[in-house]
Amino acid sequence: MKIPPTPQPAGPAYWRSLDELADTPEFRQWVQNEFPSGAGEFLDPVTRRHFVKIMSASFLLAGLGATGCRRPSENIYPFAKMPENYVHGVPQFFATAMPSRRAAVPLVVKSSDGRPTKVEGNPDHPDSNGGTDAFAQASVLSLYDPDRAKDYRRNGSTITKAAAVDALAELAGTFGNGDGVAFLMEQSSSASRARLQRVVSEKHPNARWFVYEPVDLDAARYAASVAYGKSVAPYYNLDKAEKILALDCDFIGSEENAAVNIRRFAQGRRMAGRDGAMSRLYAVESLFTLTGMNADHRLRVPPSLMVAVVARMAREILPSGEWNAKLKELSALAQPYEDWIVPCAKDLVASAGKSLVMPGYRLPPAAQMLVLAMNEALGAVAEHTVEFHEVPKAVEEDIAVLAEAIKAGKVQTLVILGGNPAYNAPADLSWGLWGKMMGAIKTVVRLGYHEDETAWVVGGVNAQGVHEPLQWDLPMAHFLESWGDTRTANGSLVPIQPLIEPLFDGLTELEVLAILAGAATTKPYEIVRETFRLLGGPDENDWRKFLRDGFLAGSAAEPAKVEFNGKLFVPVLELLKAPTGAPGPGNLDVVFHRDYKLDDGRHNNNGWLQELPDPITKLTWDNAILMSPKTAQELGVAQPSKLDQTQRFYDQVVEIQLGGRTVRGPVWVQPGMADYTVGLALGYGREKTGRIGRDCGYNAYKLRTKDAMHYASNARVAHTTLKYQLSTTQSHWSMEGRAPVREANLEDFRQQPDFARKMSLEKPPLVEPMYPNPFDTAQANGLHQWGMAIDLNKCVGCSACMVACQSENNIPIVGKEMVGKSREMHWIRIDRYYSGVGQNPQDDPQAVVQPMLCQHCEAAPCENVCPVNATTHDDEGLNVMVYNRCVGTRYCSNNCPYKVRRFNYFDYNRRPLDKLYQSPLDPRNQKDGKWELLRWWNNPDKGNLPEDQWQLIRMVKNPDVTVRMRGVMEKCTFCLQRIEQAKIAAKVKARDSNHIQLLEREGTIPRTACQQACPAEAIAFGDITDPISTVSQWKKNPRNYKVLDFLNTKPRLTYLAKVRNPNPEMPDYKRHATPYSYDDYFKTMGRPALETGEPPEEGAR
Amino acid sequence: MTEASPMPAMSRTPPLVVRAPPAELEREPLVANGRGIGWLSDTIAGVAEGSPPAWWKWCFAISVTMMTVCFLCVLYLMSTGVGIWGLGHPVMWGFAIVNFVWWIGIGHAGTLISAILFLLRQKWRTSINRAAEAMTIFAVMCAGIFPLIHVGRMWYGYWLFPIPNSYRLWPQFRSPLMWDVFAVSTYFTVSALFWYMGLIPDLAVMRDRAKTKMRKFGYGLFAMGWTGSNRHWSNYEKAYLILAGLSTVLVLSVHSIVSLDFSVSQLPGWHTTIFPPYFVAGAVFSGFGMVLTLLVPLRRLLKLEEIITARHIELMCKVLLLTGSIVGYAYAMEFFIAWYGGNPAEKHLFLNGRAADPFVISKLLHTNPAPYWWAYWTMIGCNVIVPQFFWFKKVRASMITVFVLSILVNIGMWFERFVIVVTSLHQDFLPSNWGYYRPTWVDILQFLGTFGLFFTFFLLFLRFVPLIAIAEVKGVTPQADPHHPLGGAKTGGRHS
Repeated sequence: MKIPPTPQPAGPAYWRSLDELADTPEFRQWVQNEFPSGAGEFLDPVTRRHFVKIMSASFLLAGLGATGCRRPSENIYPFAKMPENYVHGVPQFFATAMPSRRAAVPLVVKSSDGRPTKVEGNPDHPDSNGGTDAFAQASVLSLYDPDRAKDYRRNGSTITKAAAVDALAELAGTFGNGDGVAFLMEQSSSASRARLQRVVSEKHPNARWFVYEPVDLDAARYAASVAYGKSVAPYYNLDKAEKILALDCDFIGSEENAAVNIRRFAQGRRMAGRDGAMSRLYAVESLFTLTGMNADHRLRVPPSLMVAVVARMAREILPSGEWNAKLKELSALAQPYEDWIVPCAKDLVASAGKSLVMPGYRLPPAAQMLVLAMNEALGAVAEHTVEFHEVPKAVEEDIAVLAEAIKAGKVQTLVILGGNPAYNAPADLSWGLWGKMMGAIKTVVRLGYHEDETAWVVGGVNAQGVHEPLQWDLPMAHFLESWGDTRTANGSLVPIQPLIEPLFDGLTELEVLAILAGAATTKPYEIVRETFRLLGGPDENDWRKFLRDGFLAGSAAEPAKVEFNGKLFVPVLELLKAPTGAPGPGNLDVVFHRDYKLDDGRHNNNGWLQELPDPITKLTWDNAILMSPKTAQELGVAQPSKLDQTQRFYDQVVEIQLGGRTVRGPVWVQPGMADYTVGLALGYGREKTGRIGRDCGYNAYKLRTKDAMHYASNARVAHTTLKYQLSTTQSHWSMEGRAPVREANLEDFRQQPDFARKMSLEKPPLVEPMYPNPFDTAQANGLHQWGMAIDLNKCVGCSACMVACQSENNIPIVGKEMVGKSREMHWIRIDRYYSGVGQNPQDDPQAVVQPMLCQHCEAAPCENVCPVNATTHDDEGLNVMVYNRCVGTRYCSNNCPYKVRRFNYFDYNRRPLDKLYQSPLDPRNQKDGKWELLRWWNNPDKGNLPEDQWQLIRMVKNPDVTVRMRGVMEKCTFCLQRIEQAKIAAKVKARDSNHIQLLEREGTIPRTACQQACPAEAIAFGDITDPISTVSQWKKNPRNYKVLDFLNTKPRLTYLAKVRNPNPEMPDYKRHATPYSYDDYFKTMGRPALETGEPPEEGAR
Repeated sequence: MTEASPMPAMSRTPPLVVRAPPAELEREPLVANGRGIGWLSDTIAGVAEGSPPAWWKWCFAISVTMMTVCFLCVLYLMSTGVGIWGLGHPVMWGFAIVNFVWWIGIGHAGTLISAILFLLRQKWRTSINRAAEAMTIFAVMCAGIFPLIHVGRMWYGYWLFPIPNSYRLWPQFRSPLMWDVFAVSTYFTVSALFWYMGLIPDLAVMRDRAKTKMRKFGYGLFAMGWTGSNRHWSNYEKAYLILAGLSTVLVLSVHSIVSLDFSVSQLPGWHTTIFPPYFVAGAVFSGFGMVLTLLVPLRRLLKLEEIITARHIELMCKVLLLTGSIVGYAYAMEFFIAWYGGNPAEKHLFLNGRAADPFVISKLLHTNPAPYWWAYWTMIGCNVIVPQFFWFKKVRASMITVFVLSILVNIGMWFERFVIVVTSLHQDFLPSNWGYYRPTWVDILQFLGTFGLFFTFFLLFLRFVPLIAIAEVKGVTPQADPHHPLGGAKTGGRHS
């Protein structure tokens, strides 16, 4: 089908369109030569158009997946008119925030072709360095959760959104003055929500508000509000504190605003130079937490004695007064801890004004008061190591009150906005047994993100013939789909902006409240805009700046002027009951704790978090009953000889009996826990949840009553014959004296700043290699030389980097069974080692963490063993992995001394995790009536996941990173895609100049995903040829060392050794003046390698 | 000789009287009972003629079934992924590589017997070389399956070959896996050629004895027109010598190179300069073990005791004793170096990762028992202790004992490979990596399945090809030697 060439006009030949250009004889000739078989496609205008059409359609679909239908329709297909500022393939970034309980994490979210793919902290925010916690990093996966609530339901039957909204408005009309109307919500710092609550209350004045948080982190705020007589919340300036005492306060892990705390804490541990100051952290705790792991001194105290320890501490710190007698009574049982408490308190008092005591949320309110008094006495409040910010007064009541009201028949309409009380309400409120709760409730409206226990319980009673409420199930929108506003820890107002239209057309809390308030507009955008008008002024430019920056400048809270109400102190103190005895094997203490990964269970269906190893136990996909080695041994639930080799052993299941309630779970022996204490992580054992969270762990909420929300006593352990398999990513506890993590005490460090290098094994004598490393000559051509350094003194082990990496690099989850076979895919892992001293080193160990990722060795052992050249070096020093070329011999992994390479044993990205072992050839293996092999044959790009999962899971992928298939090795790339993007940007900017080099001082060096997410700023990445770059500076630090440097692999990733800052007055210092790991180190490597001056004798120094 | 022969007289020649040499000087003949050459042809060729015995049929049925299982496992593997094996982090090589090295090791005896013993003029090799070479070829075939299927994307396995392609990419010649490809494929090719070369005169025998047209044609085709002329024999001998020379180098090279897969790496337990000679000794050890395992029952079943005599068996036992002792010495050296080298990871591996058994050593050292102590001590028991029994002539003479011990040798050598591959990986430099490998049912079935493959071929070999080199055995009978003091063929080779 040839068409005659268009006659060429005289003069310069401008072609008006590609079509015209394509019609020149030269072009035709060229096409014929170049693509003999496809020439027809190009030359025939009809088929060419058809071809381009199809190409662009599939191109869009490839990028967008099913998001096509989620974008405003005019933008979808084709881009006849390009949206403003939109360049296809170039991601856009929007500021938003992830609300937490009483605060928020300020975020910048990457949007790839209209779908959010990566969450990062907002570095412009005054109280953020761009770091986040793991929850924020993983939140983007929850957005694409295929199991989230999608349908509007009325009494179990699906209705349209419009019908639901109309019915809600109708319902609001029946509220009258609000009698019998109750709202149950989660905590929030949203100004708009507070405003709408007021609107509702104005209209329906008798409506009651309740707030329930299963893990309420706000204890210090309640105490402070009482003590200071106004509604204030504490804010800790950890960077200003030289001495910190954490009283059962895991401020690094499970308290509110952990990322902010980590940032400020890490600043205090920065070790600017040889004589640089460094803070000292004391921790008193029952569990082994991240804070305890990072503490310089740690005291294990069972929860029932915690109050005694706090009181004993107060006796040392508070001036004497009328409280003396009570404190003495309270602290009677703290006797065994005397020699720890006294020097600790002395140290705090010695640095008064620069010391800080932090109370954990689990401490009872009166103990919180004690801590406030201590901070007052230490001058912490006066010197602002702790500040108090005024916050709106809480009008809401507690869930226990709501339960009473329901039982008394005072609630006819219950609106549940978020939360999952049927699962996590105190067990004695019988919330899970809806029938008992019902009474006179006529209508229940429930806005939920999942069709969870609460949704199910409400609907499930109908069959039992119990009073049947009119029930509304409304799907909730994710925060990345919502308009909203919230306040961060420092009180700044931050916007929540939607990155995408609600995928399943869900509603936000604000919308529901607005509808029920009968507000003029129920559009959440308008609501937030209106709130901002009240708070930030009417100027449209301010609003735009607010959205662009992601915070309202100058809205941070000023420290409130507070005065400690001494009169209240003694009466409150009197409420505290003195501990009556220490726990024992027959009367165990229980700690219910917030989980590092699932929080209170809200992230239960998030695969990234489920597979994230717990920073301490390294368990995945399950919670366990944690107990100390001694306790386990005395209870006869674990073989002590197996303690060090628990890999894939089946763990004993025991039954915990507490006040007539029981729960069963596997035992996990956790070194360093207080004896006779069991730790039960909340958030697992969900009965109604999605495909991910199913069958994970046991439900510790079943033991929790409203009077013992955090601590409980008198629990017993009953043996069962059951065994349960736990999956852990690290089974070995000890460094075996090899010192991958090198540490020293501050004193030693000052004498020998380069102690870490002296801890190396002798290097083998360097002989001229027969085959010189080609990289040695190639690196002369590189414009940059990439390198990384990690400061172990700053890294606290929070694991945000692991999730950030997973999100950035499209790393699949592999499921519990695969983790049990050590096939997890994390490119960056956090190694955790214990070291102990004495007869039972596991009882009270020190712990260290070390992020371990590809070291990008200059002489990489993986490269020379690959038979197909699939892993090679580029001239900028990156050890690059060519997925296309990899045949999967796995030799590279075997030869990697750091074992940081990961192998795709199955098609994790395309096949359901519970069917990995089922061959696609298996004729039983059918989906949608089609044999899996046939499906694959027909369309190899189609996954074999259920369609809904497949469509959603594709959307979370980073389009800049290849999704790897089975049989391929993968590993950390130093976020090569970010480097390339930065280079492209530099080249675009350079235009005709030659200035294409990326420079840190010009801000053009990209940040790797792990570095970006790190709230502690423990990771430096950059060009090591630039002498003033941070990474070069760090590498000049005397603490800088290479792991396994005797192998001569010349890693580009180096570590800055850890320094501990123990107090020589403390008893454990007398017992051991060097870090505990030296015991093993000396045994293995011999003493001379490290000249520590004097030998660490009893009481020496 | 105490008595000199009488000097010949000047005039007339007295009759030649040759006395039998004293019994203690006379070697046991390689073919017992002075069997004649016709008998040899009948007996050996007879094995491959007529209808097969019942035991053969049973064995064949079982072997074919197992072979099918092996291929089904491969199919499952290819369709589903390497994850169906027990591999994980950090043990990324498991049964597949263990089996590969083991089968390759077994493949050593054949070529060693046929080439090195040929060059060393060890005439006793003639009774066993054919079967041993066949064993070699089939063992290398079994071995060859594993490197191909163990890779993650087997459909791209051909990228290991230097094939010109549109990617303009060549394999990476620094990788020992690459050298493996060349070493093993060369070894297989030369072994197969050598075997076939040696078969030609015997195939001609089979052709000449054939009674059906089909057989005549088939053997005739492969006998390539052999007539037994002097010219044929002359060419044959030359070619045989050349191939023997070539194979000799390969015997040493192939397992040395396989051992480089390990010793080139950095891993404690792999990174050892002793590996090449140690692997070759181990390979010869396991190869002879397997030859014994096959031939001891076969000589009985096929009534070949007069050709594969007790002396043959005894000589092979002595080889086992020698190579087993070399292997034992290598183990000891490895331990010494682990201590002497001062690398804590290596020391840990040998002591706490391998040797520390739960009963004695771990108690003495107050450590946890090594996770794989049982593998290590199985290896030591079978490879170091078992061959020491062969010091005793009684042991060497008892066929049942030899058979049992040879099986133990095979087991021991399999565990040696297991110990090297798996235990070195399971506890390496950074303790956080440490893991534990356990095989799955697919691993085990696949390994057993390769026996099916091996025996299917071996049984077919028994049915179609003379399992002993007829021509060569005839060549080592006394009557074949014209210079034999007893008169050679002229007098029928019999003592007076």
